[in-house]
Amino acid sequence: MPSSTVENYLKAIYIGTGRLEPPQRLLPMGQLAAALNVTPGTATTMVKTLADSGLVEYEPYAGVSLTTAGQKLAALVTRRHRLIELFLVQVMGYSWDEVHDEAEQLEHIVSDRFVDRMNAMLGRPQTDPHGDPIPDENGRVKPQKVETLLTCPLHTSVTVTRVIDQDRDFLRFIEQHNLKPGEAISVEQRDTAADSVRVRGSDNRQLTIGTRAASKLLVQAVQVLLFVLLAVPAHAQGGQRPADQPRTSLSGYMDFHFNNPEFGDARLDFHRFVLLVTHSFSERIRFVGELELEHAVVEGLEEHGELELEQAYVDFLLSRSFNVRAGMMLMPIGIINERHEPPVYYGVERPFNDTVIIPTTWFDVGAGIHGEIGRGWRYRAFVVAPLDAAQFTAEEGVREGRQKGSDANVGRPAVTGRLEYVAVRGLTLGASGWSGRSGFQFQPLFDVPVSVAEADARYARRRLELRGQFSQVWIDNAARLNEALALRVGVNPNIARGLRGFYGEAGYRVVSRASFGEIGAVVRYENFDTQYRMPPDYVALPAFDREAWIVGATYWPDPDIAVKFDYSIVGSRSTVVHTPNSLNVGLGWWF
Amino acid sequence: MVVLMRYAFVSLALLAASAALLRVPGLAHAQDVKIVEISAERFSFNPSEIRVKAGTPLEIRLTSEDTMHGFHILGTDIDLELPKRGRGVASVTFQPAVGRYTFECSRLCGAGHAFMRGVIIATE
Repeated sequence: MPSSTVENYLKAIYIGTGRLEPPQRLLPMGQLAAALNVTPGTATTMVKTLADSGLVEYEPYAGVSLTTAGQKLAALVTRRHRLIELFLVQVMGYSWDEVHDEAEQLEHIVSDRFVDRMNAMLGRPQTDPHGDPIPDENGRVKPQKVETLLTCPLHTSVTVTRVIDQDRDFLRFIEQHNLKPGEAISVEQRDTAADSVRVRGSDNRQLTIGTRAASKLLVQAVQVLLFVLLAVPAHAQGGQRPADQPRTSLSGYMDFHFNNPEFGDARLDFHRFVLLVTHSFSERIRFVGELELEHAVVEGLEEHGELELEQAYVDFLLSRSFNVRAGMMLMPIGIINERHEPPVYYGVERPFNDTVIIPTTWFDVGAGIHGEIGRGWRYRAFVVAPLDAAQFTAEEGVREGRQKGSDANVGRPAVTGRLEYVAVRGLTLGASGWSGRSGFQFQPLFDVPVSVAEADARYARRRLELRGQFSQVWIDNAARLNEALALRVGVNPNIARGLRGFYGEAGYRVVSRASFGEIGAVVRYENFDTQYRMPPDYVALPAFDREAWIVGATYWPDPDIAVKFDYSIVGSRSTVVHTPNSLNVGLGWWF
Repeated sequence: MVVLMRYAFVSLALLAASAALLRVPGLAHAQDVKIVEISAERFSFNPSEIRVKAGTPLEIRLTSEDTMHGFHILGTDIDLELPKRGRGVASVTFQPAVGRYTFECSRLCGAGHAFMRGVIIATE
């Protein structure tokens, strides 16, 4: 077995020659001596001995390289070193800036059997904590095409793959500035006069480092930079891009919940399984469909799941400011109704306000126009099927009145619209409304005009997200509606003439690391009353005047996967009816 | 005095010539790259309206605040895929002729995907 000195020389030559730019193949003796912290004379004496043993080729005044036998021996020492470093970090909890010295000692002591066990235990890793490749048991390394921050393309997303300087201070600097292997960054500018490189990190922060430091960070491109110069006007082009041809794509989201309410048994519910499909007939005509299965099972008339066609419309995209839509569509009311993919909102369940005041997911058949005018003014205006007042309830307001495009009565269609301002980065201000006549089920016919007004604001920048929403529902002729329903079902439903709700929410991503993901904490206060205003001679039940605090956290291992946890504390003004609090855990994803 | 006046006249003439040269299209200003940073999130681009002088190279840098989005300028070959939140920046350089160029998200990103549109307005 070679001595530790021999192994150190072979390893230094192995690493040194690995960094030479072709066609150079010999490592200068000065570089080798510096790497081993010995004098050039000492290094030369030892190299001559290694040459006599057939492990290296030495050319006086030129340098040294490894023979095939020396190469394999050096690779196996390097393998031991890098596996030990990874073991110390992953198993023993060392930080990556303190493992090199330990590994220098241990690499000469451990047996091959120990190394094989370590390799299996670590899951046969390809790289060590610094991104250096770990040779296999035969000393082979898979070749990688890498560049440094001095050579990679500008303004292109690259992933840090390797840090080739193991100096402790340098490694700490790299860690502090989120430049460790696995981080996505881009080079913004190289200033040759100042010997500096400006880098934009995954958190969008900019950092300027020296060219020497930049040369020690190896990266791989994750996105090919596309240069398109001298483009001609749109009308002069045609058929160049695949999108000009019909194409179909499939996406979806899923939502899986665990709810453990007070005074009840815990429930596991596969709440939503949603598939979205789009088809582009051309760049101007598109179809969008959304099919949702709620609560996993649909069985006849029993209280189980629902299979719903939530969207199925065709968009005629005429211009940025004027487009026409027809089919089954989402009502443009509030924050959640049009923006309800699980990873984009905090909390396992949607806000109470978006359940009992705004009946999300609120969809129905209709047609209308939408577009964007100027800098960030967006509008939608649709004519849609009205709500069915015969299905309204005291507890859930107008929710059960959605016709859902199922042979919907449109004798007197409703209108809905939304105006949004999105010109300030991160900020969305919106106001929306809905108005329709909902009494079409009754004989003799009488009007139940229903109006919904809503205003909301959302601000999301970097780690912070703030939301607020206010909504109110007016049901005219509610007294007559109660009388008519009492005649039908035998019980007066006590439906209000006014419903009102509002909420405010603050979320902050306390952890944000490319290699780990993000963790956000949230708190939300909600106030919602489905009997906010009653018809004359009707009494509001305090149990329907409710408020809730929701505190929780979300972990995004990937921006499209959300693991959610929250606790909701729900109360009402009633001293008799106690609304249960609930512990909730959810897993939602988008693909 | 005459010599001084002659020097002053020549200096002024050189200054005027330099200023005129700098205004010649194609020599200096026309090739200055205009950088625009666009943020994409469900379901909007920000900014969604970009104004540029025709012929100016426009370097567009795009980041996503949530999922993977697309960036396609209608009628051109430009169709980028934006990395997910925190995973980098997509860049493209586009030198428009006079006209309006609508861009849109080209990757299905959710229920409001169709609303993700914007425009580049290139003027004389």
